Amino acid sequence: MRQEHFVARHEAEWRELERWLEMRASSARNARSHRRDWTGLRDDKIPERHRRLCQQLALARRRGYSAVVTDRLQQLMQRGHSVLYRTKPVHWRRSVEYLLAGFPRLVRAEWRCMLAAALLFWLPLISIFVAIQVRPELAAGLFDAQSLVRFEQMYDPARPDSALGRTNEDDLQMFAHYIGNNVGIGFQTFASGLVAGLGTVFVLIFNGVMIGGVAGHLQAVGHGEPFWRFVAGHSAPELTAIVISGGAGLRLGLSLIAPGQRRRIDSLIHGGRRGALICIGVFAMLVFAAFVEAFWSSIGSVPSSIKYGVGLALWVLVGLWLLRGGRNAVHRDDEDAA
Amino acid sequence: MLDTYRQVVTPEGVALHLRAAGAVPRALAWMIDLALRAVIYVALFRALVGLFGEAGNAILGLAVFVMTWFYQVLFEVLMQGRTPGKWALGLRVVAADGAPVGWMASFTRNLLRVVDALPVCYAVGLITSLIDPWGRRLGDMVAGTLVVHAARQTDIRAAAVSPPLAPSMVLLPHEQAAVVAFAERGPNLTAARQAELADLTEALTQARGETAVMRLYGIANWLLGRR
Repeated sequence: MRQEHFVARHEAEWRELERWLEMRASSARNARSHRRDWTGLRDDKIPERHRRLCQQLALARRRGYSAVVTDRLQQLMQRGHSVLYRTKPVHWRRSVEYLLAGFPRLVRAEWRCMLAAALLFWLPLISIFVAIQVRPELAAGLFDAQSLVRFEQMYDPARPDSALGRTNEDDLQMFAHYIGNNVGIGFQTFASGLVAGLGTVFVLIFNGVMIGGVAGHLQAVGHGEPFWRFVAGHSAPELTAIVISGGAGLRLGLSLIAPGQRRRIDSLIHGGRRGALICIGVFAMLVFAAFVEAFWSSIGSVPSSIKYGVGLALWVLVGLWLLRGGRNAVHRDDEDAA
Repeated sequence: MLDTYRQVVTPEGVALHLRAAGAVPRALAWMIDLALRAVIYVALFRALVGLFGEAGNAILGLAVFVMTWFYQVLFEVLMQGRTPGKWALGLRVVAADGAPVGWMASFTRNLLRVVDALPVCYAVGLITSLIDPWGRRLGDMVAGTLVVHAARQTDIRAAAVSPPLAPSMVLLPHEQAAVVAFAERGPNLTAARQAELADLTEALTQARGETAVMRLYGIANWLLGRR
């Protein structure tokens, strides 16, 4: 068939499709609000029309029609493709469901990596803490004198005002600071796993040593009480989140080193998807932790017993959530969630 | 590495044309984004601290956090794969199958900037994008995305209608395609260049100059089926 006849025969069809793409495909909200007035091509006809168009494009190419036809069909096809194959929009209900059930399930599914990350974080933390109790001069090797003095001042039990005397504005500012800082650390812990997991291992051990060092030093010099009072509240969500993002980072590193039955690139994509999903949960945990840290941990007037009680309750809650969350829910494909 | 033109076969069995973007335009786009963010920071700082004082600092801190981790994600997903910098350079982020990039993929590829930026100046990203045939950095590989040059609008118009003329000899398919392409693109050329090109086909048109051009147009019309 000559090009001219081909165009004449199918022109109307292409115009309809072009019009649909222009009017209905650009914005979903627009499309919904004008659903009743729309008289052109029906939405449910589009997949069929797209397939027809693809066939016509293939024919036009095979028959060597000129660029006027093939380019036009090509463009039409690419526009249709990006409408038909776009990712599903996010639903709020699904994201809540993911946080409550999908995320704990994902964490449990990677329990080996999570365990390894927990060991990499907690072992240095506890050993440094204990070591400084035995030989307090070790702290001087970890931090320089200025930082040590700053830590000591920050948690000085002799200070007249409460542990961390702050105004409301300070709280808000610290909230912003904690979010930026902690989420940054969490995300970096995950992302650096792409360097064969080494980055994650380093970040985990480094943070373990630092936190253990600060805690150990303050305990050793007798400033333990204000420090524990301060960190008890937010310790559960924060430390768990760092360990989980470390586990996700190790998983990512493993999918590079040991792709298993997949091609290395496919294994990376798979690991990256799960890792990013976990990072969303970590993000939520760290925002919550920053909230607690800024607005609860900083209150000085609450008795210690309540502070420790809340801290313990949060540990129990986080533990329950991670261990039990999503156990009873009907299994859904978490890859689609969020 | 040299050929950046990639084809992806869709489930319908036709080829999508993607022109993978190299490191240089992407670096430029990134710099534009960086400059834009700097401008926004300064503007926000002036406005917020002026309006709210201390509390403004807190909001600024949150804004800086959001801009650091989500600036690229928000633009890429909401603006069809284009941050302002990419828009300026005519780039787009798409999924590896040519579909628009989704939230998860965009989030992943921007999270992994941390690694691509190692050790300095995106060195890891530069090296991987030079090695990879699609010019992807590590983040793109893991997220299954791709940065492409946005499709240019072609300015080819249909050949002008003129009296069809049967060719004096049998033309092979690629020769036919060349004649039709001449008829479609010819009007964009100067008259002298049209004549020069038409002179190459003297065996077919048996004429030179202006007459050859008109005859070629006629043959193109005949080939297109206008008879």
